[in-house]
Amino acid sequence: MIAAAAFYLFAAILIASAVMVVTARNPVHSVLFLILAFFNAAALFLIAGAEFLAMILVIVYVGAVAVLFLFVVMMLDIDFARLREGFQRYAPIGAIVGGILFLELVLVLGAWTFADQAEALRIAPTPPSPVTNTEALGLLLYTDYIYLFQAAGLILLVAMIGAIVLTLRGRPAMRRQNIAVQIARSGSVAAEKVPVGAGIRELGIRRPPPPEETRRLAEPAHGEADHGERH
Amino acid sequence: MLVGAVFFPLLGAAISGLFGRWIGDRVAQWSTVICMVLAAVCGIGAFAQVALGGQPTTVPIVTWMEVGGLEASWALRYDTLSAVMVMMVTFISTLIHLYSVGYMSHDATPYRFFAYLSLFTFMMLMLVTADNLAQLFFGWEGVGLASYLLIGYWYEKESANVAAMKAFIVNRVGDLFFMLGVALTFFVFGSIEFSIIFAAVPDRAQDIFLGVNALELIAVLLFLGACGKSAQIGLHTWLPDAMEGPTPVSALIHAATMVTAGVFLVCRMSPVFEFAPTALALVTVVGATTAFFAATVGCVQNDIKRVIAYSTCSQLGYMFFAAGVGAYQVAMFHLFTHAFFKALLFLGAGSVIHAMSDEQDIRKMGGIWTKIPITYVVMWIGSLALAGIPFFAGYYSKDAILEAAFAAHSPVGMYAFILGLAAAFLTAFYSWRLLILTFHGAPRADAHTMEHVHESPWVMLFPLLVLAAGAIGVGYLFYPLFIGAHEQAFWQGSVFTGPDNHILHDMHEVPGWVPIAPAAIGLAGIALAYVMYMIAPELPGRLASRFRGLYLFLLNKWYFDELYDALFVRPARRLAEVFWKVGDARIIDGMPNGAADLAVQASRGAVRMQTGRVANYAFAMIIGLVIFVSLFLIGFVR
Amino acid sequence: MAWTLALPELVLALCGLAILLIGVLPKRDTFFPMAMAVTGSLLLAAVLVLGQQEGVALNGLYVADSFSSFMKVLALIGAALGLLLALDYNTRERLNRFEYPVLVLFATLGMMVMISANDLMSVYLGLELLSLPLYVMAAFDRDAGRSAEAGLKYFVLGALASGLLLYGASLVYGFAGTTNFDRLAAAFAAQEGVSPGVVVGLVFVMAGLAFKISAVPFHMWTPDVYEGAPTPVTAFFAAAPKVAALALLARVLLGPFADLAAQWQQVVVLISIASMLLGAFAAIGQRNLKRLMAYSSIGHVGYALMGLAVVSDVGLRGLIVYIAIYVFMNIGAFAVLVAMRRSGRAVEQVEDLAGLGRTDPAMALWMAVFMFSMAGIPPLAGFFGKLYVFLAAVQGGYWTLAVIGVLTSVVAAYYYLRIVKVMYFDQPPEAALERAPPSLSVVMATTGLFNLAFCLFPAPMLAAAGIAAAALLG
Repeated sequence: MIAAAAFYLFAAILIASAVMVVTARNPVHSVLFLILAFFNAAALFLIAGAEFLAMILVIVYVGAVAVLFLFVVMMLDIDFARLREGFQRYAPIGAIVGGILFLELVLVLGAWTFADQAEALRIAPTPPSPVTNTEALGLLLYTDYIYLFQAAGLILLVAMIGAIVLTLRGRPAMRRQNIAVQIARSGSVAAEKVPVGAGIRELGIRRPPPPEETRRLAEPAHGEADHGERH
Repeated sequence: MLVGAVFFPLLGAAISGLFGRWIGDRVAQWSTVICMVLAAVCGIGAFAQVALGGQPTTVPIVTWMEVGGLEASWALRYDTLSAVMVMMVTFISTLIHLYSVGYMSHDATPYRFFAYLSLFTFMMLMLVTADNLAQLFFGWEGVGLASYLLIGYWYEKESANVAAMKAFIVNRVGDLFFMLGVALTFFVFGSIEFSIIFAAVPDRAQDIFLGVNALELIAVLLFLGACGKSAQIGLHTWLPDAMEGPTPVSALIHAATMVTAGVFLVCRMSPVFEFAPTALALVTVVGATTAFFAATVGCVQNDIKRVIAYSTCSQLGYMFFAAGVGAYQVAMFHLFTHAFFKALLFLGAGSVIHAMSDEQDIRKMGGIWTKIPITYVVMWIGSLALAGIPFFAGYYSKDAILEAAFAAHSPVGMYAFILGLAAAFLTAFYSWRLLILTFHGAPRADAHTMEHVHESPWVMLFPLLVLAAGAIGVGYLFYPLFIGAHEQAFWQGSVFTGPDNHILHDMHEVPGWVPIAPAAIGLAGIALAYVMYMIAPELPGRLASRFRGLYLFLLNKWYFDELYDALFVRPARRLAEVFWKVGDARIIDGMPNGAADLAVQASRGAVRMQTGRVANYAFAMIIGLVIFVSLFLIGFVR
Repeated sequence: MAWTLALPELVLALCGLAILLIGVLPKRDTFFPMAMAVTGSLLLAAVLVLGQQEGVALNGLYVADSFSSFMKVLALIGAALGLLLALDYNTRERLNRFEYPVLVLFATLGMMVMISANDLMSVYLGLELLSLPLYVMAAFDRDAGRSAEAGLKYFVLGALASGLLLYGASLVYGFAGTTNFDRLAAAFAAQEGVSPGVVVGLVFVMAGLAFKISAVPFHMWTPDVYEGAPTPVTAFFAAAPKVAALALLARVLLGPFADLAAQWQQVVVLISIASMLLGAFAAIGQRNLKRLMAYSSIGHVGYALMGLAVVSDVGLRGLIVYIAIYVFMNIGAFAVLVAMRRSGRAVEQVEDLAGLGRTDPAMALWMAVFMFSMAGIPPLAGFFGKLYVFLAAVQGGYWTLAVIGVLTSVVAAYYYLRIVKVMYFDQPPEAALERAPPSLSVVMATTGLFNLAFCLFPAPMLAAAGIAAAALLG
């Protein structure tokens, strides 16, 4: 009873906030509503007994994706008035098409039936109670679905390559940490005896040598000056 | 030997086409000529063995494709019908290769020309020796392609390009029907092998397809395909324009061989046509109409090659209506004799053009007969044969056609007979108009050209003389074999005539005036031409201004090109424009100026534009999805 | 669990990882050696595919049969040829980063996963593994606005298509309780009348797949992306991924959903007709060759789908033959497009081909061969592709399809011939096109000879296609 009430509550908020994501005037509000929607979806997962998915949803989507969205929305200068203009122009047709699709889906749901053996065919039935949700997922993921798991891994790898290919630019002016040079540097770690009790007033502010000087020092020894400058 | 006749030309084409640039023009030319000579020797040998010796065979080469009931092996079918064609094609092609050595001597890339010419010959041989409809279609398209390449050989000329495109596209229209015919044949008979089809024809005589007799439909579709290749009325428009190609091409492709492929097809499929009386009537009417129509147009053309082209068109009409009344042997006979004298006329015209420094307008010729006597004589021989003057080649075949039409004793036969007679008159008229304007009267060319008028070299004259001998002799020599006393022993059933078809017998029993009429009417035509152009040269001009409407009507070839332009070309272009503008630019892109303009605009305001457009794209996807879902659900509810 | 069955995929994936690792280490430009390594890996995978056993493995997620072997080899060859096209172009346009071949490799791996999919989840993951590299490749010329735009457009619309596919898959799962193809087939066979939800789900799945083969009305991205992406990338897009997506579509529709054929058939018929019409008419006004090829490929997909729409073994064989020939025609034509450079700059308008018949007869000859082949003119290979689908349509009694197919191919012949006309008959501009580099000439000659010689020896491919079709239809 309480579970049912909670379900309807969360579901209602979920749908309402999803609508707000689309209709909110301020994009920052949109993202915030998106986060609210994620939270409610996580709650629905919890009710369904999928606590692992619920937590993942909160951690990954709320914690990482949505916050990233927020950053991007705030950083980019997007002319939302113009976007809205296009939206209004197509709104009537959009509403009609959307309405038809919605009606059709309602019809479909109304006439929904299950296959005779749907229950028996269910790919991964919920395991008996001592196995936790997380463990059950792991058991499936790393055994039965290792193929898909590896494929998903490759997809992420490709996404990473793609991001690097499209955005990484070697800038000649950029300086990088060169560990080898750093370690091989001689004489820089020389201790210096400072008079005890002398304040800044006496000694002055000690600064490291200017960068050009460092580089000149390192170059003859290693010939690594061009590192980080390809592309 | 049977295989050699077909494949020597391919060898020649390969040598000249692939290595022509390295081995030099001379070697390339003569290697193709030698290959053609070998092919001709084989071709004549094949004719002797198959037709005269009476040993029809099928030479299998490879199984070509075999899938899902459609089985096509690659084999050479040698019966009398194909042996006649093989001999004729290889022989004439050899002469034309030889002639081209002289004619193309000033050309920049003769090896290319010779490669095309040999390739064409090979394709034509594939067509005539086909063992099944797929192979025939392969040859059919191959000759179309070679013809396209050859018409557009002088690609610097804009008109040549346009003509090549036109020939190609008009032929594609015919091919469309041909393909449908082949598809329907496969549908009805379950095979495209000739032997299987022919054996099964009587059983299928009553099959109904889409409410009409299936055999009738097949015959009509195949005939429409033949119309495209053989330039029958309606699809003839490409042939006169094809004269843009070099003259040897016109002689080989557009007179002797390729254009007769349609007639060959009808004769090859005679077992089917014999069971399709309505289709045969259509063939007769179209053929007779073309014969008359092309002859009328030929009377007013001024380009020497176009006159002969319309003449070809008209003669092809004769062949078709001969086939239409059931006299396939007669049609083949005319095809055979026509190849000789029409090739002769074209090559003679080429010789004239060569002499006149590439002038083709007969209004600018005249008075050259003493300077190029050999050409003059062979043109006379060709014209006499064409006009059907007794004892020349054309006399035997044309007479036989008109007799057959008369002997058919049917309304369409009578129609064909009357139009055929009229066309015979016009044929004689325009032939002598051509002769007189070209060779006689006062010289109308400028003095510079006249000085250079010279007889062609022997390499060109030799083929002319051989063909002239042919134009005199082949009619008399082959008459007994093709349609005379020995015809049954000669054809050996390779042309099928139905049990009720006694046309070959009937045509010898027509009233006495019928055989004389064509020759008489031909002489009358010659006389009229003589009066109009020799005695009273101002008469034609007066007639033209008096009957201006009729003259323009004829001069503009009955306005067929204009009609097609208005009916097909412009609407198609407009439709394309509408599709492009409305379909792509307006509905999808939401932009009025079309996709090309968008590309320019996109570079200006990529970010701004793209947002809107991606949304539109996505929108279109969703709309498509909704339509499909709706379709499903509607189907489901029903 | 016979995981060794998936050896080609495993080897290819490991090769990809190794190449990525090796490529990133040296400081020099490693584009060329890495591209060669990837080509080698693709060919190695093709060899492994040929020696592959048949069966279902990896918990029913993966299937290997004659159909998958044929399509995989085709996709691998298409991908390898597509990569060869990029060798010269990328170096000249300063796109010679070693990630390019690696992306090609992973995209190809995605295709193989798709072709071998035996589960809706494998379908989705294969599709994504294919799509992501494609998005990146479309935007590979990241400093050019139009390339970046193409990548972004493709990405956004591709995401939408993936969403549709997933939604459809979840509807199907909701009905049947399984995503495995064999069990789905069993469920549909057992059920008398299926729920409309499944049918709607199937439409959504089809929409997602139709997007990848750019069939109307899910084609809108095609012209823009084809035009915007660097030319070798477009060449890659137009060949191998289409093979994989068509194979997948055929497997999904004729495998698990074979019993719903009456329902999905009309959609495929409609898509096929619409694609043929649009491909024929919209291309007429195009002046940009890449845009023209985009519409051309839409039309070709329409013809190929005709083979699927008739739901018969003859039809499926027609589809397989068609797509195989299409790959070779298309790669060849794009080899010419990639080779089009004038004074050091890549050009891509139809007029730029003017006079090629005189300035570079060899290239013009091959282009003419490809154009004639695409127009379906005998005796070139393209004619046979059309012949088999038309035959299948006629045999199945789908006259409308066959007639529309013949008519649109006549219309399409117009713009293919126009290109031939421009090459041979138009006046060349001042500066002639540059000579094609050897790598492209080799690709042109190989594919051109295939198109020319197919008519002489069609039997092996037809036999192989017949076996493949039989394997899928059982």
